[in-house]
Amino acid sequence: MSYLVCVLLFRLMVGSVGVASNPSPYFAAMGLVMESGVGCGVLICFGGSFLPLVFFLIYLGGMMVVFAFSAALSAEPYPYGWGNRSVKMYVAAYVLGVGCAWKVLLGKWSGFWGGILDESGELLVLRGGMMGVAAMHDVGGWMLVLGGLGLLLTLFVVLELVRGVSRGGLRTV
Amino acid sequence: MTPIQMTFSTNFLLGLMGLTFHRTHLLSALLRLESMMLSLFLATSLWALQLSTINIATVPMLVLAFSACSASSGLRLLVATARTHGSDHMQNLNLLQC
Repeated sequence: MSYLVCVLLFRLMVGSVGVASNPSPYFAAMGLVMESGVGCGVLICFGGSFLPLVFFLIYLGGMMVVFAFSAALSAEPYPYGWGNRSVKMYVAAYVLGVGCAWKVLLGKWSGFWGGILDESGELLVLRGGMMGVAAMHDVGGWMLVLGGLGLLLTLFVVLELVRGVSRGGLRTV
Repeated sequence: MTPIQMTFSTNFLLGLMGLTFHRTHLLSALLRLESMMLSLFLATSLWALQLSTINIATVPMLVLAFSACSASSGLRLLVATARTHGSDHMQNLNLLQC
């Protein structure tokens, strides 16, 4: 289990370096897809059941899909991948920085890499993560309403500001 | 520092550095904002799971909802830029010409 968590954390860092170094947005979106898939795996390894599912569905299945087809707006004939010289320089700089930080801060970590931390030793029906999200509907009901209203407001903001031809934010087009 | 805290902290800082040093496209800056949001979701979810403070599990859900708002606003700006300037290159955003 520790090896699985170690591999997943390593892949998270690889994805993060791949997004932060400056490739073309096609490839950065792919790095972010890998990062979110692996982040879901990390949450599963630490005992969550509902939160990684939400993450996978909403973040990867909702937001990343929109980013992936919005990458068509940033199309260029020769996109910069990670084999490009300038992108490789950024990758080398970030890997060096992250390696130094890990060596300094984590060099003496000979302990526990990860595992499911549960208080009882048995398999329960009501898991912690799911009950926390249920609390959002119960005690945090007004926050849920506020979040929903905020999302609705964002929808109208987006629609009004992309509307062109003398009414919205784009007045000339 | 534990390995998982180190991972999401460096994830956040890498996204922030990538946002600072972005080069050409507006969409790549938005993607680094999403990477930062991903690290925040991981951090708050692991807080709820590892420390067994169950009520904090509402925080990643709400953070996800509001980051969807910010991502959609950023994409709206991207579409507006692509419609007026033809592409999302940052050097085209130069109305202030001194």
